[in-house]
Amino acid sequence: MSSRTIVPPASRVAEPSGVESLGAAILDLAYGAREMYSVFVRTLYYSVRGKREPGSVVAQMYEIGNKSVFFVTVVMAFIGMIGIYQSGTQAKRLIPDYTLMGAQYLQLLIRELAPSIGAMIIATRVGAGIAAEIGSMVVTEQVDALRMCAADPIDFLVKPRFLASIVMTTALIIWICTVMFCSGAVTAWSFFGVSFRTFFNVSMVHYGDIIVFLTKCIAYGAAIPVVSGYCGLSTFGGSEGVGWATTRAVVNSSLAVVMLDLVISAAGFFLFFSK
Amino acid sequence: MIEIRGVWKTFNQPVLRGLDLTIPAGCLYGLIGPGASGKSVLIKSIVGLMRPERGQIIVDGQDILQLSELELQSFRTRFGIAFQNNALFDHLTVNENIAFPLRRLYKNMTEQQVMQRVADRLNVVSLSTFGDRMPANLSGGQKKRVGVARATVANAPILLYDEPAAGLDPVTSQKIFDLLKQEKGDATVLMVSSDLDRLLTVTDRVGMIYQGRMIFDGTTKEAQESTDPYVKQFVHGLVEGPL
Repeated sequence: MSSRTIVPPASRVAEPSGVESLGAAILDLAYGAREMYSVFVRTLYYSVRGKREPGSVVAQMYEIGNKSVFFVTVVMAFIGMIGIYQSGTQAKRLIPDYTLMGAQYLQLLIRELAPSIGAMIIATRVGAGIAAEIGSMVVTEQVDALRMCAADPIDFLVKPRFLASIVMTTALIIWICTVMFCSGAVTAWSFFGVSFRTFFNVSMVHYGDIIVFLTKCIAYGAAIPVVSGYCGLSTFGGSEGVGWATTRAVVNSSLAVVMLDLVISAAGFFLFFSK
Repeated sequence: MIEIRGVWKTFNQPVLRGLDLTIPAGCLYGLIGPGASGKSVLIKSIVGLMRPERGQIIVDGQDILQLSELELQSFRTRFGIAFQNNALFDHLTVNENIAFPLRRLYKNMTEQQVMQRVADRLNVVSLSTFGDRMPANLSGGQKKRVGVARATVANAPILLYDEPAAGLDPVTSQKIFDLLKQEKGDATVLMVSSDLDRLLTVTDRVGMIYQGRMIFDGTTKEAQESTDPYVKQFVHGLVEGPL
């Protein structure tokens, strides 16, 4: 009688090739993007049609806005000082004329530095907080309990953070812009002798800059809670899963800010500055 | 009545493998089985929190796998559920936790009716003075009791309890089981527990799940007297055996 060796199933499974791994990664990315888009659309829907939970948006505005003020003020004030010191030092070697330093700096702040760097700083604090809170609710079955009570987690958890973040991210970025400009003015006066009157020059700020600035504020304010909320809701496992969700929220929110920055800046350039 | 037919649910590997189970209306059914055998997955599948890939879950004549998420939201009013981890909302007081299902699901109830019902439930679980506390300030047993109060607050006809006494001392555990039996009323109850000594004192029928399949379904007495090596070993907590 002939015998036959039975190969255990695990050893029959071949290691995926490089192409297969790449394909799987792309499929995962596409699936994640689709899910995130779904979270965004449902958040928009519930923002209009969802159940009003009295005080929930205000509570989130306090969490997102007020509790971030100290952190963003300190960080962005230092970045403002460093920026002016470095640019002043370089300008000194080339054209030792600081007349337009404040005007150029304000344009750069409004166009790029304040919204984009500010939003990334906000994303580290707010995004991590949102993902950790929602992720913990997922692993402790609180999200399941919500669903059992006909409360869609998007409506109950993501929507209030979304609305609060749009308002407070805009407010924070305007505050950041002010802080960076003032800290820059002090640095310019201290190190390069630029008077406040010379530094406070708004002549280079175009109305298109303001529109692009506000568009970025709203877009970042919307993106951070949607991305972080999605990361929190897709948490699995225990505390390790919450840690991963938090990390993913910060990384993905920062990526979203950078990508939105590119898109909005490009659109703003073609609309306002290409002529 | 709950009928489960040929249900398959896979994560990285199959957890439920063509599971069949019938829970008669009004029965207090105990579901037992070793860890990671699919008990909690089954409970979450019954209420539509998880979607099996194949099979049918028929509750009162309706296959819930055919329902959309929106339809499920209203269908879930038939269920009261106490989760394994209690799932009390951290940011709400005990009162607000128990009132939550009523406020979300029964919008025609006045606030006075809601609070009256909450007070009644807290009285039943002997926590009438704990209404203003936050869940973080409760002991494990108190959290379980609040979970039971929330599960029963809406008088749902089907009650599901996932490990209602896990991690509790024997006295508190027995009190929880007595409470669950007392609160059953006419409801159909499915109870998952590893505390067999106490579970079998309250159940009408018992089913054992092993590796994603039902390997036993019978009365509590039949489970206790079963000669099936798996059931016998598990029910009597024997070290020697196939498990």
